[in-house]
Amino acid sequence: MSDLVTLRGLGKRFESRKGLFGKARAMMAVSDVTLDIPRGKVTGVVGESGCGKSTLARLVLRLLEPSAGEIQFDNVNLRALSAPTLRRLRRRMQMVFQDPYSAIDPRYSMADALLEPFQIQGIKLGAAEARAKVESLLAMVGLGAQMATSYPHQLSGGQRQRIGIARALALEPDFLVLDEPTASLDVSIQAQIISLLEKLQAELGLTYLFISHDLGLVRYFCDRIVVMYLGRVVEILPDPQAAPRHPYTRTLLESNFVPDPTQRREIRRLTGEIASAFDLPPGCAFAARCPNADDLCRRVRPELITDPGGHASACHHPL
Amino acid sequence: MALLDVKNLSIDIHGIRPLDGISFHVDKGEILGIVGESGSGKSLTALSVMGLLPLIGGRIERGTITFDGTELTTLPEPAFRKLRGRRIAFITQNPMTSLDPVMRVGAQIDQVARLHLKLDAKAAQVRSIEIMEKLRIPEAATLYHHYPHQLSGGMKQRIVIAMALAADPDLIIADEPTTALDVTIQAQIIDLLVELVRDRDLALILITHDMGVVAQTCDRVVVLYAGRIAESHAVQAIFANPRHPYTKALIRCIPREDTVPGSLTGIPGAVPSVAHYPSGCRYHPRCARRGPPCDGIVPALDRPMGGGEIACHFPEGMGNVHV
Repeated sequence: MSDLVTLRGLGKRFESRKGLFGKARAMMAVSDVTLDIPRGKVTGVVGESGCGKSTLARLVLRLLEPSAGEIQFDNVNLRALSAPTLRRLRRRMQMVFQDPYSAIDPRYSMADALLEPFQIQGIKLGAAEARAKVESLLAMVGLGAQMATSYPHQLSGGQRQRIGIARALALEPDFLVLDEPTASLDVSIQAQIISLLEKLQAELGLTYLFISHDLGLVRYFCDRIVVMYLGRVVEILPDPQAAPRHPYTRTLLESNFVPDPTQRREIRRLTGEIASAFDLPPGCAFAARCPNADDLCRRVRPELITDPGGHASACHHPL
Repeated sequence: MALLDVKNLSIDIHGIRPLDGISFHVDKGEILGIVGESGSGKSLTALSVMGLLPLIGGRIERGTITFDGTELTTLPEPAFRKLRGRRIAFITQNPMTSLDPVMRVGAQIDQVARLHLKLDAKAAQVRSIEIMEKLRIPEAATLYHHYPHQLSGGMKQRIVIAMALAADPDLIIADEPTTALDVTIQAQIIDLLVELVRDRDLALILITHDMGVVAQTCDRVVVLYAGRIAESHAVQAIFANPRHPYTKALIRCIPREDTVPGSLTGIPGAVPSVAHYPSGCRYHPRCARRGPPCDGIVPALDRPMGGGEIACHFPEGMGNVHV
């Protein structure tokens, strides 16, 4: 099994100003991410707001320019590519966004929206060919052919997300980055979309990078789980059922409400809140909230260490 | 007698009826979950009890809402004002809808106690800081002087809960109180609400779309679908033996430890909009168990022997009699 995408030391620095004339401040939205994304598998990235998961999603496709590190896509160094070459390669990697409403032009019919990727890539389709393409894409995501003439405001959230997926699949990519594709949907629709993504992955042999804040969903859907906290990878679970070693992963797991009243859990109390990314402490970023933190944790940042089984964690006192 | 007893409530907003014959009750020391997808009428139920329907151009068409012996549907606004925020508190999803952005958070908590309990400024401040400490707000005496924008989302929601508690209410209605928060913070806030109910013998109505939250916190559950009650029962019974196909499907939408990959399917279609409610049982177009009467006849809300309520022509456990 080979890796479709490899990330080495990937980082992204953002600057912001407090007020118009204020001093510029910098923050690392993503720091030193080294990760292999295996072909034909679902790699999940999980974390809370501000952990850098959406920034990572955009860096992987070079929709954002990294400040540091390397991205290899099928053995091609993405950072070395010129804009036209990158655009051609983009056919093979696509993104599905959280909010399909803002991803589709409200004045486009669904047929227009589904044909836009071909225009951008300069692929000319005849009228009959275009119609057949639209119909097959709609069918692929479980929508009827009559949907081609609808506009975004006429669709439900679930239908819009299906269009978002169909559009991402239009150019027959190998790799899909799914950035919280179900976060704004009702649970019944979320389950529909996940089931559709499972089916498409099996049929088309796709590789997914699935970004989510929901560890329960990630454990169900993904083959491998990457846990991020404040811009860094803190743990990589080689198998979704592996027991967590990082206290933050355990906290995430315990915060997940299991739909079973016979399995009620004590919620471990956390002190403190997520630190500001502009003002990170020198040691482990989770130390202020961690029940096991000691002086070492507050002084020295733990390195991400991978064991022979592929389980990686960045903690001085793993569980 | 229940602390809050809602009977056969129907409401009217500009000629449509988004809530149709809703009944439920909640007792002291009890957590009632009202669960359903967007558009099921959860928030409208909360607004009805709070007497806030006129704000959105709605009115109560039929039914009664009795709170501790007082009939609320006919209560004049001045009398309602003495109740609202004092004995019935409301926590909304977005804390910024409850907080004044240009007023220090401490003063906002004080206000509630000063208005409803007639405390003086000094006593109100002492009490506010006490409540903040109980809500596990670190350095409460310092945060008391902060403005909302200086606080994180989780802290803001704790301030809103402090405001809700300031007048020592008997009933709290929390409408998706943690939906906008990060998962670890959500767990902390839910834990806090449960502890409050148990310690102070409050009644809590927890409105949520999350069956996981319901399973972990509630005593009883009302499942709403498209403005009607689908099913209600004790939480253990609802999860161990859901009788309405919608309840069962909703529970199955959340992956669990033992969910087999590929077995998550969701519920086909979507919740209909108020203007396009189907005839008969409103769930029938999405229902796997539907049969001949479902599209024409509204199922009555039955109270079977085992307890709870159910509105379905072909409840689970009856076998597929119509197939």
